[in-house]
Amino acid sequence: MSLVLAVASAWILVPLAPVLVRLFGRYAGWPLALGMLFPLGILVGLRLDAGDVSQTVPWIPVLDVALRLRMDGLAFLFVLLILVIGAVVLIYSSSYLRAPRSPGFYLLMTAFAAAMLTLVLADDLLLLYVAWELTTLCSYLLILRSGPHAGPAATRTLLVTVAGGLCLLGAVCLIIVRTGTVQLSAALADPAWSSDAGFATAVAALVAVAAMTKSAQFPFHSWLPDAMVAPAPVSAYLHAAAMVKAGIYLLMLFSPAASHAAIWPALLVSIGLLTAALGAVLAVTRRDLKSLLAYSTVSQLGLLVAAIGVGTEVAMLAASVHVIAHALFKSSLFMGVGLIEKRTGTRDLHELSGLWRVLRWDAVMLVLAAASMAGIVPLVGFVSKELIFESLLHSPWGSGWLLALLAAAATVFTVAYSARLVLPTLPGPAMDGVKPWRYAAAMSVAVSATALTGLVLGPIVGILDPVAVPAAAVAAGVAPTEVGHLALWHGVNIPLVLSILAIAAGLAIAVLMGRRDRARSASGAQAPAEWVAPVTGVGVVQGIHDRIISFGHRVGDLTRFDSTAGQLAIPFVIIGAAALTTPLLWQGVGEYSSSTFLDGILLVLVVAGVVAIVRSRTRLGGVIASGIVGFTVVLTFFTLGASDVALTQLLVEVLTVVVMVLVLRRMSWRFPKEDARRRLAAVVAAVFTGAAATAATLVFTGHRGLSDVGEYMMGSAEELTGGTNIVNVILVDFRALDTLGELVVLAIGSVAVAALLDARPLVERKRPAPASPALANPFGNADYLRLLGRVLVPVMIVASLFMLLRGHTAPGGGFIAALLGAGAVVLSYLSAPTDDVPRVQRPYLAIAGLGMVVAAGTGLIGLFDGSFLRALHVDILGYHFTTALVFDLGVYFAVLGVILAAINRLGVSTPDDGTGRRPRPEDDPPPAGSTAPEDSVTAAENVQEASIATEGGGTR
Amino acid sequence: MILALVIGVLFGGSVYLMLQRDRLRVILGFVLLGHACNLLLFSAGGTLRRDEPLGSDLDPSVTADPLPQAFVLTAIVIAFAITIYLLVLAVTGPKDEDAPEEGTDESAAPVGTLEDRYGEFGVPVGDTDPYSADERQGADR
Repeated sequence: MSLVLAVASAWILVPLAPVLVRLFGRYAGWPLALGMLFPLGILVGLRLDAGDVSQTVPWIPVLDVALRLRMDGLAFLFVLLILVIGAVVLIYSSSYLRAPRSPGFYLLMTAFAAAMLTLVLADDLLLLYVAWELTTLCSYLLILRSGPHAGPAATRTLLVTVAGGLCLLGAVCLIIVRTGTVQLSAALADPAWSSDAGFATAVAALVAVAAMTKSAQFPFHSWLPDAMVAPAPVSAYLHAAAMVKAGIYLLMLFSPAASHAAIWPALLVSIGLLTAALGAVLAVTRRDLKSLLAYSTVSQLGLLVAAIGVGTEVAMLAASVHVIAHALFKSSLFMGVGLIEKRTGTRDLHELSGLWRVLRWDAVMLVLAAASMAGIVPLVGFVSKELIFESLLHSPWGSGWLLALLAAAATVFTVAYSARLVLPTLPGPAMDGVKPWRYAAAMSVAVSATALTGLVLGPIVGILDPVAVPAAAVAAGVAPTEVGHLALWHGVNIPLVLSILAIAAGLAIAVLMGRRDRARSASGAQAPAEWVAPVTGVGVVQGIHDRIISFGHRVGDLTRFDSTAGQLAIPFVIIGAAALTTPLLWQGVGEYSSSTFLDGILLVLVVAGVVAIVRSRTRLGGVIASGIVGFTVVLTFFTLGASDVALTQLLVEVLTVVVMVLVLRRMSWRFPKEDARRRLAAVVAAVFTGAAATAATLVFTGHRGLSDVGEYMMGSAEELTGGTNIVNVILVDFRALDTLGELVVLAIGSVAVAALLDARPLVERKRPAPASPALANPFGNADYLRLLGRVLVPVMIVASLFMLLRGHTAPGGGFIAALLGAGAVVLSYLSAPTDDVPRVQRPYLAIAGLGMVVAAGTGLIGLFDGSFLRALHVDILGYHFTTALVFDLGVYFAVLGVILAAINRLGVSTPDDGTGRRPRPEDDPPPAGSTAPEDSVTAAENVQEASIATEGGGTR
Repeated sequence: MILALVIGVLFGGSVYLMLQRDRLRVILGFVLLGHACNLLLFSAGGTLRRDEPLGSDLDPSVTADPLPQAFVLTAIVIAFAITIYLLVLAVTGPKDEDAPEEGTDESAAPVGTLEDRYGEFGVPVGDTDPYSADERQGADR
């Protein structure tokens, strides 16, 4: 029984959710609610047994990275909130959701609950931050999936909350740098908070902004009403009970430390009270019940923030109780409004009436929750509101009366909107078409559970002492004994007088507004649209969002070209310009570089090859010329003492030619003409870059002897690995992780090729008609290669296996062996008389995947010796075996699969090439010497070409 | 010294080819770029010592640095995979790259004039059959 187990069990529900949805459909809410009780049980048990607990699971001890969890009184308060309300909302969802299968919803809801639990239990600054962002993401995704119009609202929400997340990241970094620890509790106890005013102020401001974005405080409040496009369970859980409380948790957590900064109480109290008043006033003007509740949440959170800003024991006690009270009544109200909407089909104040007649029980629950929100005795909302008044009155920062009066003013409107929830909707004639109660039975259960708890907890509020008092003690930075006790009735005192006045005034406002509405509907006038401020938060956020996007476009436009050359020219020019500085660094030809006569011959060959490619007018000529360069490079590798590299390059060169020939037949025979200006510009760029490259090579290389790493690998390869081919040893032993990464790159490339070929058809050109009929006979033409292949293919396959086995001690290894093996298969392709079917039908991508599995699996075996990819050695019958060979086998399969998959797909004619028929050479025996147009790009072009060709024939 | 010239020639050739519009030329340029970079890596390891890093009891004063060799070996294979991908890109799609009439971007203007495309004799130079093209207008190359 531990904290880790509790957090893990919350996360396990996430992958379980889709399974349960598959089994139970939308009723998966019930087992998931039960599942939430499991971590709850563990944590309550821990709290009862041990009080404050913490647990650390080391992960990377060297870097002091660990999973640190801690549960004190404050965390426990929020744990209860998250898991209890979470379970209730999940039960509610099972009835609210009407789609039979919605795995995404339950997945995200449980993920949110788990992230939130991680957040409040984190004792690590980084974990805190990660969990914070996870809750933001879950909220974003839950809003996003709630309908086709949710996109912009979800994005705005994300924009605001992520901005806050970045502030938290800034605060986290500052704290880690200044205090030198990532452990949250240690960082908060650091003396720097009191000694370093600048640090405390900066962090306090950043944390306050982060919390205010999450808890929707002015001026970041706009996202919360915006987020009301989400369905009722999401609003009830994320946007009333849990996620917006993450900001409150953060403030309470940091309060003892951050209140050393003078800015902290000033910011929190002023913004909190302003938000409380603003939210309440806006809520009164709403017609949409959900929007009303959203602004009410903004207002209530404002009160909480103000109380936390005051920071006394009473204030923190008030905040703790209000967190509970608000979670109960607000989730109840959100779920209640959702229920009303589901049963009556509307949530517009002006359309709803007679709820008392049609849903009597739920109406009672709605009244209870609204009364708790208004702070009417004996509900729990009364207790917390009185405590908030009390704490503001006795604020240590002075002007307590003013603060209390401001809060009371906000409460007037709170009472008014609470009354407007019920006064116009309950009486009156019953509405038509209300769905029966059975339709929403589980919803009723959830609404009633939260509303009744709010009622019951009022008179016996003392039983909340073990939860609220330790939380307040942590947040106020004092011992629990210094915090008072909770009681429903404190006698007649100033807060009570303020409450009574506020209730009276609020009811009066509600009644007056009700009369006005009735008079208006009696006179048949249209109800006015909801009042909209000239500057709305939503508008501002959307404006910022749009400007960021357009700014990005403007920046991107600077380098946005449709042509490849335009894209490539920029890096060429920048790197070339940097190369201009190389002459300044000239220090003579490197003393570790050398040139031989052979090098000179190779230079001549490379120049010849490059010139041939550049000047080639046919594609085949270009490919052949690139072969000249390739083989010269192979020879260069040999002269540099790199036989493995040379062998690899040689085989790659052969296979490249094969692949190029496969695609060549789908291209025109000649290169298209480039215009002269482009050619001239390219020549200038080429000469400049070439000179720069030569200069850079001379300046930057050849001034250093053998690298230490290279010397170490040469010296100890045989002793450590038993291999004497150092390059291969590096690939499969010393730097096997690099090789594994490379295999991943290869596999991704291969999957990309497959995906590309699945998505877009290959260009298919009509086969060129051979000049002589003999060339059109595919069987006869393939005779030589077939005969050769019959001998060579088995030899090549055996040779490839031999290369694989001997790789550790002699030139060879997985790469070379796989290329050789691929060459064998390619030969059998080339000697095939027809390309109608792939020559060798094998699941090549699966072979590549097998290679990856083998390589990674060998790596896992290395874990037995303590490290991923460490090679193990055994001597069997006098022969030395190492798992590095198995790893090399993985390399072999991966490379083989990747190459063959591509060749296999490219080598086949696609039957659906637009012409509707499979092109075969034997299909149209060509009239010798004909000049028929061969390109079947478009019919129009065909006609055009045909006419010109005819003319051409005529003139000739 | 000579290796630096080889690298320069390869870089120059690759830049020229990559600035062309034709995709196969760009790909050939990419291949040359790969060669140039690989040789640059070798150059960084030093070209004075040229003995193969094979066998026991190697003499560090004459044996080539094995580390750049291992880098280059993997680089070759990855460049090969990317080349394949580029080649596939060049031949997929509903339209051939030589059909600029269908192009949507402004840069895809028709390649040359009609005369360019069909040669001075009015015979299509672009897309004739390879087996008879040279024999028919052997003076072309």
